[in-house]
This record gives sequence, structure tokens and C-alpha cells, in this order.
Amino acid sequence: MPIENMSGPRPDYSRYMDIEKGWVDRRIFADQAIYEQELYQIFARCWLFLAHDSQIPKPGDFITTHMGEDNVIVVRQKDNSVKAFLNSCTHRGNKVCFADAGNARRFVCNYHGWSFDNAGELKGMHEEYCYEEGDINKEDWGLKQVAQIDSYKGLIFATFDETAPSLETFLGDFRWYLDALLDNEEGGTEFVGGTIKSVIGANWKFGVENFIGDALHAGWTHDSGCRAMNNGQPFPPVDMQNSFHASVNGHGWEFGMEGVGDIFLLGRPKVMEYYERIRPQMAKRLGEVRSKIFGSVASASIFPNVSFLPGIHTFRTWNPKGPYELELKTFVIVNKEMAEEIKDDITKGVMTTFGPGGAFEMDDGENWENCTTVNRGVVTRQEKLHYGCGISRKIDHPDMPGTIYRGQYNDSNQRLFYQRWADMMNAQGWDDVPERHKSQLGGRATRDIPTMKKA
Amino acid sequence: MSVSAYFKEEGTAAVSVELISEVEQRLYREVRFLDDEEYRKWTDMMTPDVHYFMPGIETRYRKDKTDQMNDLSRMAYYNDNLEELGKRIDRLETGTAWSEDPATRFCHIISNIEVETTDNPDEVLVYSNFLVYRNRLERDEDTLIGSRKDLWRREDGVLKLAKRRILLKQNVLISKNMNVYF
Repeated sequence: MPIENMSGPRPDYSRYMDIEKGWVDRRIFADQAIYEQELYQIFARCWLFLAHDSQIPKPGDFITTHMGEDNVIVVRQKDNSVKAFLNSCTHRGNKVCFADAGNARRFVCNYHGWSFDNAGELKGMHEEYCYEEGDINKEDWGLKQVAQIDSYKGLIFATFDETAPSLETFLGDFRWYLDALLDNEEGGTEFVGGTIKSVIGANWKFGVENFIGDALHAGWTHDSGCRAMNNGQPFPPVDMQNSFHASVNGHGWEFGMEGVGDIFLLGRPKVMEYYERIRPQMAKRLGEVRSKIFGSVASASIFPNVSFLPGIHTFRTWNPKGPYELELKTFVIVNKEMAEEIKDDITKGVMTTFGPGGAFEMDDGENWENCTTVNRGVVTRQEKLHYGCGISRKIDHPDMPGTIYRGQYNDSNQRLFYQRWADMMNAQGWDDVPERHKSQLGGRATRDIPTMKKA
Repeated sequence: MSVSAYFKEEGTAAVSVELISEVEQRLYREVRFLDDEEYRKWTDMMTPDVHYFMPGIETRYRKDKTDQMNDLSRMAYYNDNLEELGKRIDRLETGTAWSEDPATRFCHIISNIEVETTDNPDEVLVYSNFLVYRNRLERDEDTLIGSRKDLWRREDGVLKLAKRRILLKQNVLISKNMNVYF
């Protein structure tokens, strides 16, 4: 069943920005009606990150998480596949699971004892005899499944929209960049145990846009964090000639090419040694360019709400909780092949830099909260925000897929994120979503394609 | 993976009022330093091998045996030695820690203090609860409540903090950051 959008006619969301001129209207961070539309038009349709394979290794292993504001259970099945379904009983709607994670054969509702197996099918209920023949066909009353579920190199995604294009298409050429994180060593990646969640009184998009392209804030906002982690040294200088923004379908990665900046910011010499040791292998595996992208001062987001810092190893989702609040879920992503000692060192490094108590993270929340809450003022709310940095620096790059802008200090990825946002908000269906970047890579194994094929 | 207990020491209820009083005064002094942002004086109350641990605790069913209290390889708010705590404090001294200027107002309240002696005459186990109130700018406020278990060790005649495990009684940290110590 398609998700029915109950609201009336929608405005043309393109009027909330001018990507050519470089501004965005603040109402998209403040307006309740726009927020409601985001839940329908973006979160009920896009592929959303659910879990890493390593969080649910064994049959029955589950985590609970959010897709937009919808709570879902993600479970490993006997045949090793993964299912995801709403965490809401089909009888009166109560949650059927109250844990963040665990292992379960069944999810039983506390209200009337409706019992669902870990594939989400209704198997029985308390005092089942009171249902007469014809009262219920249990097969029809399982927990609502996501429309599509798939994974890309360890990351499990799902969508509520059966008409959504494949995950492969949704990620498109961004997979070329993702491989630098997910496939830089044999064995791939895993998440460290645990999840840390926190609440920020900010619009969810401020987190995403910060990670998608805002290298510029780092040296200023995080001056204190950088000096603290690195014996008083400020942020490494940015090489504007040799650093880039890359955007594909609203996903974006901003990066230098020096190979070490983010690893340096983690403040863990042993981790730096590790990557220096595997870098020649990485270059063979991914090619010279990506072996330099990985570890550089960089940050990235997958549309609509996943972000990570390659080299610093924080991985997170920004979950919408109304226009004025987000819930941040953070994880630590490491390579499976790493020795325990390196994994522990990275985990400690992430928690001292980008955990809620981290020397870097600390200063972000307060900025985004104030960027958001000032818009309670109806006059403030109608003012534009400037997104014009680097607007004329678009280039063609022979080795890098996507829309490329030169110079890491740039608003390009942010502009293209908001363009994708407007495209999704305006589209009646996926056929209406304009293809802003034609895919140039074929197949899934982007690692094996040394240079891209020209379209 | 098998996980060894964070506290290996076994405790027995202390009988000396003097010892209990001495520990209480140490705990109160600690949080006075924290309220006053005297962070170096605070870390001076620690042993050189101190470990400061505040695990991130997921909500799990009772039957789930995942050891979230002792496993140092899992995600944590704090999992610090003295050098790492020192780096966090370095940040506050750079002059560019924007989210600390204007200053945050802190108030730490410590209660439910219990002291236990161990086999080692120089070490005591200390249990306590905390309520930390944080108020900032106009009406930013957070209340963080939890419990602690500490190991204090007598060095050169003075009790110093050697180990602390902090359990925050929240699942989702209901706060934009954790610029606070316990």
C-alpha cells in the first residue's frame, strides 16, 4: 500500500531556495507544516540507514531504530536475511519491543499478548479462543514490513516506498566514495558495541548539512577541540586547489587529498601508524585517488540523514523529532581486520572527540540549537541564509564521479543537498525526481573500476 | 568475548567514623572544584593511574546478559586515563571553547555515600549518588542524575581517586552535549 499523504495541496518547495544565487529560506528549519511534509516526502520514501550487519550477527538478533518518526525493529532471520517492520502492534498499536537491542524469537505485546515471530508474523494471542471463525485471518495482521530492504557493504538500508528505485540506484555513484570508508581493507567494516543517543534542540538538517560540506566551520568552531587533542596545534591548513566537494543525488563528501587530516584529529598515533601501514594496499585496492581521500580532513552525509567522518570513525544518524529537535544516534565504525587494541584506541578516540562529551562535538550542538531556535521569531524566520561560498568553482574532474567543486571551503554540497531536498519535497512519485547526476559507474563492485566510464 | 569485572576489590562496610568523614569531605571538595571550574585542582585529587569510566548503557531486556557495566571495548561517554581527562580540560583553557563562554552554571549534589574497606589497607570502595544541575545562557537547563562507584587510594597520606564508574540514569542523553564531569 502506498503511504497516503493526508495533507492538502503543497507549495512549490523550490521557492524556499535559489541554488544558482546561493540562498536558502529559514522556514525550512522552523515550519511545522514543512516538517510534516518532510516525514511523508522524504522519510517515508527514501532509503534510510537501519543498522550495520555487525550489530545483528546471529539469527534473532535485533535492534530498534527510527525511520523518520516511525519506530522499527530490524531483525536477522534464520536464513541470514534481514527484515524490518514497524514496532507497533496491529491490534491497538502498542510497541511490541522496548529494548534498544537484543535477541528474540518473538515480540509479544504487553497489552493483549499478541505475539509476533521475529519475522513479524502474527502467531497467536492471549485467550485466542475468543476469536470466532472469520474474526481474524492472522496472516493479514502481521507487523507492517518495510517495502524494500537491502544492504551496501555492511550498511543495511530500507524504504517504506515500494516504488523507490533500488538502493544501488539511490546511492548511485556515491558508492565510489562510500567504498573508501566501507571497503578500504579486506573484510570490510563493523560497528563497535553500543549506541549513544542524545537530544539536540536543532533541526535535523543542520546536522546533515554540517557533515555534508561544512569544512569551513571546523577550524573556527572546533579550534579549542583541535588544540586540546593535538598539543596546542590548530587545524591543518586547507589546500584550496587540491580539495573538493563531491555531490551525487544529494549525498555529499567534502575532502582534502592529503590523506592524514582526519586521522590526525582523532589524536591517536597508533591509528595513524595503522593506516600508513595499510595505505599501499588501499591504493592497490581502491586506486591512488581514493587512498588519498580516505583519512584526509573530510566529512560526508548520505541523503537524507546519515553522516560520518572517514578517518575519525564516527558514524551517526540525525533523527527528526519535530522542526526544533533531533535525536542523534552515534556509532563507531572500524575495520574488521584491525587488532582489538586498534579498535579500542579508535573507540576511545571517537569518544574524546565526537561523543556527546567529545572535545569537538561539544561546540556543535550549541551552534545548531541557536541556528534553529532563533527562527521561532516570525520575522527572523522569513530571512534568507547565505549558501553562496564557492558558487563559481564547479569543475570537471577526470577521476571523480559526481558534481565536483574545487576547494574544500565551499557550500556546494549543502546547496545540492537542499536541491535534492526540494526535488523530493516536490515530486509526486519517484518518476518526478529529477536525475541531477547521471550515473557513470556500472555494477556494484565500484572498487574494481579504477577510473569511471564516461556516460 | 569474556569481560573481566571493572572492580576486582571486595568491600566490607567501614566502621570508622573518621574514615567515612574523611571520604565524604574528599567527595564534597571534588564537586566544589567542579562547580567552580577548578579542573586542574580536581584532577590533582586523582592517582596517576586513575581510570574514569562512564559507559553508554543501552536499554535491554532483563534476560539479556550483555555486560554493559564492565566492558571497556563498548561505546562510553568517558573511558579516560589521566592524560585523556587532561586533554578535555585543555580544551577549556584554549580561550576558544565557544560553548563555555559565557560560562555554564553547575551545581553538583552528592549523597548516599557509603564507604567500604578492602583487603588493601590503603584502598577503599566508595558508593555515592549525584544530582548535577546545569544551567546555561537564558534558560538552557539539564538535570543529570546517577550513581557512582569509586576506588580511592591513600598516597602520601592523602586519599586520591583511583577508579570511578559512573552510571547515568538516562538512556537517551537528554542534553545537547556532556560538558560536565561527575
